[in-house]
Amino acid sequence: MEDLGAFAFWALKIWLYLVISLIMIPAMFGFSLGISETYMTILVKTLEWATLKIQKGYADEHLEASASNGLIQREDGSMEKELEELRRSRPKPPVGGDFTLSDCFYFTRRGIESIVEDEVTQRFTSEELVSWNLLTRSHKDFEYISLKLTLVYGLGIFVRYCILAPLRITLACIGLTWLVIGTSAVGLLPNWRMKFWLSELVHVMCYRICARGLSATIHYHNRENKPKKGGICVANHTSPIDVVILCNDGCYAMVGQVHGGLMGVLQRAMVRSCPHVWFERAEMKDRHLVTKRLQDHVNDKTKLPILIFPEGTCVNNTSVMMFKKGSFEIGATIYPVAIKYDPKFGDAFWNSSKYSMVSYLLRMMTSWALVCNVWYLPVMHQQEGEDAVQFANRVKSAIAHQGGLVDLQWDGGLKRAKVKESFKEEQQKQYSSMVVGEDSSNSD
Amino acid sequence: MGALQSLPGKPEYVDLAEKTGFSFEQIGILHNRFKQLSRNEETLLRDHFNGIPDLACNPIRLQIIEAFFDRRNFRQNGEGTVEEIGFKEFLVVMSHFKPPSLHMTQEQRESIRRDKLRFLFNMHDADNDGTITLEEYRHVVEELLSFSEALEKDTAKSIADAAMLEVASISMGHMEPDEFYEGITFEHFLKLLNGFEIESKMNVHFLNMDTTTLCK
Repeated sequence: MEDLGAFAFWALKIWLYLVISLIMIPAMFGFSLGISETYMTILVKTLEWATLKIQKGYADEHLEASASNGLIQREDGSMEKELEELRRSRPKPPVGGDFTLSDCFYFTRRGIESIVEDEVTQRFTSEELVSWNLLTRSHKDFEYISLKLTLVYGLGIFVRYCILAPLRITLACIGLTWLVIGTSAVGLLPNWRMKFWLSELVHVMCYRICARGLSATIHYHNRENKPKKGGICVANHTSPIDVVILCNDGCYAMVGQVHGGLMGVLQRAMVRSCPHVWFERAEMKDRHLVTKRLQDHVNDKTKLPILIFPEGTCVNNTSVMMFKKGSFEIGATIYPVAIKYDPKFGDAFWNSSKYSMVSYLLRMMTSWALVCNVWYLPVMHQQEGEDAVQFANRVKSAIAHQGGLVDLQWDGGLKRAKVKESFKEEQQKQYSSMVVGEDSSNSD
Repeated sequence: MGALQSLPGKPEYVDLAEKTGFSFEQIGILHNRFKQLSRNEETLLRDHFNGIPDLACNPIRLQIIEAFFDRRNFRQNGEGTVEEIGFKEFLVVMSHFKPPSLHMTQEQRESIRRDKLRFLFNMHDADNDGTITLEEYRHVVEELLSFSEALEKDTAKSIADAAMLEVASISMGHMEPDEFYEGITFEHFLKLLNGFEIESKMNVHFLNMDTTTLCK
């Protein structure tokens, strides 16, 4: 028994040394030994092979690789046009007030169409893949296609759960511990220039380790547009991992609510070495206070650019939802960033109503990898005569366009809340003005 | 039918396909949608429909949602309402909006037409007495029009009355001064909408789905 214990201990030591030397040290200093690249190449080849196999398995169907853009075909006409059409077959002209029972049909059909498919509810569940990526979680019914495929799938499970997951968890723990220790240590130094440089170094190192801990492959585009000090960096939000992705390439000041527990420890540690903006829960309700604090931070040109996710909630990376105007009212320079994950290698979306943070992180660590593209967009300022909402929409469109995402006007808050009463009235108002006539509804 | 090669291994769909006329792919899509709306529960409640933002903006959302819980639409000659529905009922109600297939006889088209019109009639005939009374008609108009300052309740009432008068004159021809028009019966309803191509206007068209989009 003792031999077994000693052996296990020795194996653990070897494991740790290997991890540290082969993965952690290169990660910290930003160079790579090529292990991850090899893994990714093998992975990509395997997935391509699997896709071909699956397609052959359904060989008697006429196949296309592109996903359809929608389930149902909708009429493109506006309300007026459609109601005109419906009324064309009326037997007699109206007596007074232009209303007929057939007008309901338009609304009924629209209603049924939204029940079958609507733009918003689908954004709060994971994206559907074009072809299975050999993960159990993304395949609803496992149908037997061929022996080889099943073997590869089984091997994949073993590799992901027994080899990759422990490795990644180790790295994540090391990374976070390093963050806490490193930032606290730097925080003890007096305010020399050295301190800022060291603090940045510590932060970036830790995030690099964490990124390795998720087998993240990140491609940064247009790095000349990287956010600079005294500005606000704005990005679309898919999961908490977005922070790790962005901070791998630069240092940002975070904004957020003060949490308890592990997050609280991290927050307090980070603040020691460089200023971040953490709000108490009560303070977040006071919009003026929030704006003032952000403004103070931005105006101090020595402080790092603030990182904000204006959607306010996690969305599934197929679309960009409404940007809250708060960050756009400050009047600072905005650096938009678009983040797009490749769903083939793992689903990065955090469905917070379905998974807690811990189970989400475990799912991340048992995916194949995390591949994403980050585009730094050219800087944007609020223009003359443009209000905060218009500015926010302009930035949102730019991000959506770059990332290949759908630009939606709906509020991400609809994930949890119902539609505001004022929106419900819109269609009724439009219809009323049609029925009653333009004259009497001009005062609307 | 004959679409068995599309989704192997779904015996329960065969039964549904026969009953509703949807193809296997369409049933698969709707099943996913059902699960999405019901948040993976077995039954759908009225509250689940309230979570669809597009539907929340629709003026007659209440009638549309009620139609799903109305036993008259379940094709089993039932009456009254239920509190929750399963996927089968959901699919049966949806089948009222299925486009007619191209190879259909005149008789089949006629029966589909009646079917769709019956669905729409039921939506407005809330108390199931077989007629859409003036009250029920007024209710529809009020739902559709908004109560902004420009439009008062009286205006809505007068619009409804005028429309009802028109309906009466079409269905009954000339009326005696003291005759009372009770309401629109289903036969009147059919007559009223004789010119409409309901079969083509009240449909939800599914795009062409390939199998690859379903094997996730």
